[in-house]
Amino acid sequence: MNKISARQILLFLACIAPVGKLVLLPARLADASQNDLLFPFLLHILVQTGAVFCVLLAAKKETDLMGLLRNTFGKGAAFVLTALFSLFLLFSALLPLLEQKHFVQGAFYDTLPSVLVFSPFFLFAAYLCSKPLGSCGRVWDIVAPLAAAGLVGILILSAGSADLTALSPAGAAGGRGFLQGVRSACGWFCDAALLVPLLGKIEYKRGLAWKGAVCYLAGGAAALLFTAVFYGIFQETAINQLFAFTATSKYFAGVTTLGRIDYLFIFLLSLSMAYYVSLPLHGSVDCLLQLFGRRKHLPAILSAAVALLFTVITLSLDYRFGDVLSLLTGSLFWLFPLFSVLLPPLTLFLRRDRRA
Amino acid sequence: MKTVSGDLAKTKAALKKLLPAGDILLFDFASEKGLLFTCVFADPVTDKDLLGEQVVKPLLAYGGSPSAEEVGKRLAFAELKREKSLEKLAAEVLAGNPVLLWEGMDEGLVVGTKKVFARAVAEPPTDVTIKGPREGFVEDVKINASLVRKRLKTGELRIESFEVGRRSKTAVFLCYLEGTSDKKTVDGVKKRLKEIDIDYVPDSSYLTHFLSSRPYSLVKQIGTTEKPDIFCAKIAEGRVGLLVDGSPIALTAPYLLVEDFQSSEDYFVPPYRATFTRLLRLFALVVAIYLPAFYVAAQLFKLQLFPIKLLLTIAGSIRDIPFSPSLEMLLVCLVLEVLNEASIRMPKYVGMALSVVGALVLGETAVSAGFVSTPAIIIIAFSGIGLYAVPNLIEQTSVLRLVMLLVAGSVGTYGVILATAFVVLHLVTTENFGAPLVAPFSPMIGRDLRDSLVKFNLRSLPLRPKTLKSPNKRRLG
Repeated sequence: MNKISARQILLFLACIAPVGKLVLLPARLADASQNDLLFPFLLHILVQTGAVFCVLLAAKKETDLMGLLRNTFGKGAAFVLTALFSLFLLFSALLPLLEQKHFVQGAFYDTLPSVLVFSPFFLFAAYLCSKPLGSCGRVWDIVAPLAAAGLVGILILSAGSADLTALSPAGAAGGRGFLQGVRSACGWFCDAALLVPLLGKIEYKRGLAWKGAVCYLAGGAAALLFTAVFYGIFQETAINQLFAFTATSKYFAGVTTLGRIDYLFIFLLSLSMAYYVSLPLHGSVDCLLQLFGRRKHLPAILSAAVALLFTVITLSLDYRFGDVLSLLTGSLFWLFPLFSVLLPPLTLFLRRDRRA
Repeated sequence: MKTVSGDLAKTKAALKKLLPAGDILLFDFASEKGLLFTCVFADPVTDKDLLGEQVVKPLLAYGGSPSAEEVGKRLAFAELKREKSLEKLAAEVLAGNPVLLWEGMDEGLVVGTKKVFARAVAEPPTDVTIKGPREGFVEDVKINASLVRKRLKTGELRIESFEVGRRSKTAVFLCYLEGTSDKKTVDGVKKRLKEIDIDYVPDSSYLTHFLSSRPYSLVKQIGTTEKPDIFCAKIAEGRVGLLVDGSPIALTAPYLLVEDFQSSEDYFVPPYRATFTRLLRLFALVVAIYLPAFYVAAQLFKLQLFPIKLLLTIAGSIRDIPFSPSLEMLLVCLVLEVLNEASIRMPKYVGMALSVVGALVLGETAVSAGFVSTPAIIIIAFSGIGLYAVPNLIEQTSVLRLVMLLVAGSVGTYGVILATAFVVLHLVTTENFGAPLVAPFSPMIGRDLRDSLVKFNLRSLPLRPKTLKSPNKRRLG
């Protein structure tokens, strides 16, 4: 259970990683890129594909992040860098967590409920984080087919209502719109960074990096297709549709007679998202455990501490999501590419064996 | 350690001191040549007819030397054992095997004339089949072992005996196929059996607590069956089996969750039919667990989930109900559980009356009195039936349904999704004897998927399940 097989990694990249891009990102991207959302989305996918390729290539060394850093830079530097990376993972969890909270409040209730309805999520996160990071692989085996079914189901129910010609001419917003789009979407593309704590736990197989890149590209293509369908349905009003995958399928003809059957797929996607959103927290706890060692009760204590911290943050930022979003996609956007685009290729240069 | 002395009177006194109970009898008799014998036995558990015919009668005419070998030959009885320790002799007496002592001999002879109390081998009520064998295990461990031996006529079948329970000294037979079962699993089961320190073991279910890696978990971690054909099939796949004296339910390890979605009949019908019924069981179980929860959550938090016509029907039927949807559903669910519990324990003729009371008085009258709505009754009835599609998991799934219902009533559909995430995480991280509970789905094992929720043709299953780590991989020639 401490190891993640190549198949599990591929399932995560192809089926679960795209789920995080289906809630707020399409609307946000439409807003920032002046309704020219496909190219910034595509660029992020391509860049992340490269970064994922690098991390999976580094998995060949079969040494964890702390070990790689220690063998390259020495113990002290390794401690500081791993701690920094752990902090980044916590930071990167903020956006998807708040997004998830708003999604839950908006999509699962007829009237706006108290923020407390989201608090059981942190119990779940604490339980998940107390397990070895390798256990995620087992979860992905079960959840990936469900996520894929959810995404395909939503696409099928939505596709009929979309007018894809609304996307043309692509690139009409010019370079400025493109750059704005790229900048505002950075927070949603940290998948390569999420794989870094898994180093040393992946059962490397020949060709894993290539297969991983292809799977991520395939998953990204599905998310891109969904984004295109989403824009094809809502067009200029897309910026107001904050919970994309609950909005696109409600125009399906069967909804009138059968009720919101699309919610079956939404539930599947939400289940997958619960695991996806917890992954940075889990990764962060694992990095801390690499620093302090996996002592008897430490995983449970750290997990509880992280969950408690985020409960407090989420409760206190309940009405400040807009400000947080502006901060994370505005002045602090550079932190995301720093750790999720630049760091992954650097793992290739870290030493597997200790310096002589 | 006290041992038998050549002085018969002293030995008798010592044994009587160890066994002061009133039902322990000492029967003295002498052979024609004057050799004094004493037979010590526990009155209620010894077959006295057999003892008289096979032991006392031949010895009355005995004229040979007082050596144990000679006496043993005279008896010509298969189950004989010589023993010097008084404690061990006392234990044999309590187990129903009389001890024969005689003058001038420093050891006793244990005679296996235990009385066997056993009902006839019959079809188990919890596992009825239309096609396939109908024999079921009984409470006697030796009869059960014979049912296993009858089906597995191979020298590779090992049946090792253990004694569990400080006072009950319950016989436990560990059954496995040498060279087919994983040695680590066999050793693991033996180790845990030896570690059990408990007063009394009335049933095999007691052992499951000690054999599970997560004893406090709601999740079942040891397989159970009442049918020898299923037991033998599992052993032949590479599992380890346990027969416990006094229990008609045999245990198997390692256990995979998918086992309970399979029935023995699946192997006697065409594979497409087996696949269909297995998927149907899964569907029924999922609906049984989630339907009441989603109904309540939708009523309380997200009415959009209902189609408009259904919503109007529901609105009409719940209009005058005095309880909240969650309380209403919880009450109906509890009433069903109570009815279920009572009807199982009650005599059959009362059970019929109870069904009428349950269906007509409680159901019909409660609806017409406006206590509960018709949809709530329908949903709980369907859910109740659905749970029984997988009867071996009923203890777990009924609790899970209640948990989901409570979560749905307090947090809504998102709570149900999170609870599901909890359950999935708990299931995938549970392992027992090295086998992941949710295999072959997680970790996904392609080969084993052929006989999981789907069932391939027998010819497509040449290898034993990879999850069981059998050293003998091939089962089909």
